[in-house]
Amino acid sequence: MAPVLPEALRERIVAEFPKYPEKRAVLLTALHFTQETFEGWIPKETVPEIAALLELEPIEVWEVVYFYAMFNSEPVGRCHVRVCTNLSCCLRGARPLMRRLEELLGVRPGEVTEDGRFSVGEVECLGSCGTAPVVQINNEVYRENVGIDDLPGLLDELRQRLDARDAEGESEG
Amino acid sequence: MPDGGAGQKFENPVTITIDGREIVAEQGDMLLQVALDNGIEIPHYCYHPKLSIDGSCRMCQVKTGAPKLAIACNTPVADGMEVDTQSEEVAKARRGVMELLLINHPLDCPICDQAGECYLQDYSYGYGRADARTTSPRRKGVKRHPIGPRVVFDQERCILCRRCVRFTSEISKTNELRVFGIGDHSHIGTAPDAPLDNDYSINTADICPVGALLSSDFHHKRRVWFLEETQTVCPSCSKGCNVKVGMFKNEIQRLVPRRNDEVNETWMCDHGRLHYAFAQDETRLRDAVVRGESSNGTVPVVPLDKALEDAAGRIKSTADEHGAAAVGILGSGALTNEELYQLAAFARAVGTPNVDVPVPTGEADGFLIQAEKVANARGAREMGVVPGDGGKDASGILAGAAAGDIKLLYVVDARSLLAASDAEAVQAALDGGATLILQDANVSELTDKAAVLLPGQVWVEKDGTFTNHEGRVQRIRRAMTPAEGSYCDGGIFTRLSALLAGTDPSAARFDARATLAEIAEKIDGYAGMTFERLGSLGVKLGDAAPAPAPAEPESEEGSAPAEPA
Repeated sequence: MAPVLPEALRERIVAEFPKYPEKRAVLLTALHFTQETFEGWIPKETVPEIAALLELEPIEVWEVVYFYAMFNSEPVGRCHVRVCTNLSCCLRGARPLMRRLEELLGVRPGEVTEDGRFSVGEVECLGSCGTAPVVQINNEVYRENVGIDDLPGLLDELRQRLDARDAEGESEG
Repeated sequence: MPDGGAGQKFENPVTITIDGREIVAEQGDMLLQVALDNGIEIPHYCYHPKLSIDGSCRMCQVKTGAPKLAIACNTPVADGMEVDTQSEEVAKARRGVMELLLINHPLDCPICDQAGECYLQDYSYGYGRADARTTSPRRKGVKRHPIGPRVVFDQERCILCRRCVRFTSEISKTNELRVFGIGDHSHIGTAPDAPLDNDYSINTADICPVGALLSSDFHHKRRVWFLEETQTVCPSCSKGCNVKVGMFKNEIQRLVPRRNDEVNETWMCDHGRLHYAFAQDETRLRDAVVRGESSNGTVPVVPLDKALEDAAGRIKSTADEHGAAAVGILGSGALTNEELYQLAAFARAVGTPNVDVPVPTGEADGFLIQAEKVANARGAREMGVVPGDGGKDASGILAGAAAGDIKLLYVVDARSLLAASDAEAVQAALDGGATLILQDANVSELTDKAAVLLPGQVWVEKDGTFTNHEGRVQRIRRAMTPAEGSYCDGGIFTRLSALLAGTDPSAARFDARATLAEIAEKIDGYAGMTFERLGSLGVKLGDAAPAPAPAEPESEEGSAPAEPA
């Protein structure tokens, strides 16, 4: 079977080795790189290759992928919208917020909208409990004190960003 | 008992007190194991004597004089340590652990196979509280999930002790299981496309302290308190793993490993565990058969006595007409030492040197699974079921039959013969025209070809001994009332010997105990061996003689008094 890790990604991971005493220590970085390369998620075929590269058992890589909410083992939308569901956010309405978000987009965690633009999920504490509930979109947008009524506006804003990005891409192409 | 109980010797002895009782132990040994070794129960889930220490369940907390309670599994004993396992402080900590473990437990004991041998049940009764203080719904998880081909997983019952995870990383070294997720979402899981599938996978069900991992074969088969358990040995290879056979209404329900640190520690392979149907399925032979010239089409069933007389008659006339060497005897490594000893005597009574035991072989894995696929190949050699002077071995006997030199083949256990031999060699031997006398417990390709068929028995119907590949002599015990119509294999040999000698066959009863006494007298290494001396864990060849040590009492739990394994 042909390797699924692109050579550039492989080289990028290997370049991290000198920074650590052991190869296994590069795992989190390697997973972040992989997720960047594969549009926000970690395809299962990449795991045995990452494991071999870092001299780990494949299941040790899965253990880390499944432990952290920041790693996705299923495809995600171009905007992966995540609501913090730790204690403070839950006390301030994260559950109803999550439900409303699912209704507005018509997807449940693990699913992607038909146009490929959105997916939803939960995230562990983002360290902003004083401004709960908190919403994170990809690794770029963070919103505090998000109420149910703020969601339509937030989603419109995200759609406009995507439109703008698409237009940019077309003019470049 | 400041001498450390059973006369144990310590390199660096320290004296500690547990609940006021003075105990001598090896410095640095873990407190929990020291307590268990001394018959003091400290409840625990994640600790297992054959796995690394996890320290995650917190159930074994005790007071050691440190400011906080300490987990006994990971606390090395030190001289003068005073341990309290009974105070209200300890009891309260255990109640707390139990309450947290049970918050999400489904309490579906009525449909759980583990009920009756469940740590969670036992400790809940002993250390828990009767009522629940939470009212929120219990967490849902996957149930009856085939986590591998031979193991069923119930996520809701799991207490995340990680025994199974440590088993697949440390013992089977196959790394199929890990804890996935975080906090409240933590669960045992397998990687995508990599189910729990290794030669030892069902051991995870044995060590699971709750009903989260279960043997698919035993799933919903029988409540464990209905099982009658007998300590015996697995017959599937020459390792001789110590097992318990669980019976219900004279049917085997399951085999589970029994701890013997000299043989199988506390494990057994999946193949051996699941290879028992032949003892009780429709392949069992229950009738003696004698085929004459005239028995066209029908199976001529006769009483066993008649079949034995007929067999002896054919052996005698063959020997008279063509010489004793025209009789070839192929024994079986599935027989006990006592039966094999009588088989050797029978071969001497026939007078043929053409005697051997064909031993089926296969893969060995360097852990438990051995190449010899019968329990007692070594015993067969030691009991003298080997070619005599100038005699032929198994393949020689088959070739002799094919060439017409062997006129009568006496085969015990055709399935061993077929598994050990080249199929063409067996066919050629049958085509050679020799008369086949078959002593067997199960149907095989040879059954219909036998002129005389003598229905024998299987290991679980027998009392006796096996000698494993390392020369450890171990006791097997009858767990099953023999199949109706079958006859004790040793008795077939003794009666045939009597018939050949012209003495009364009904007086030639087979007595395994008396035969072992004879073996002890006559065969090197077996001196001093008796059923009592072998006990539940067996004795290595040579170690029973002379016998100055007092007989070991048969203990219920092998060498693990406090660990249900």
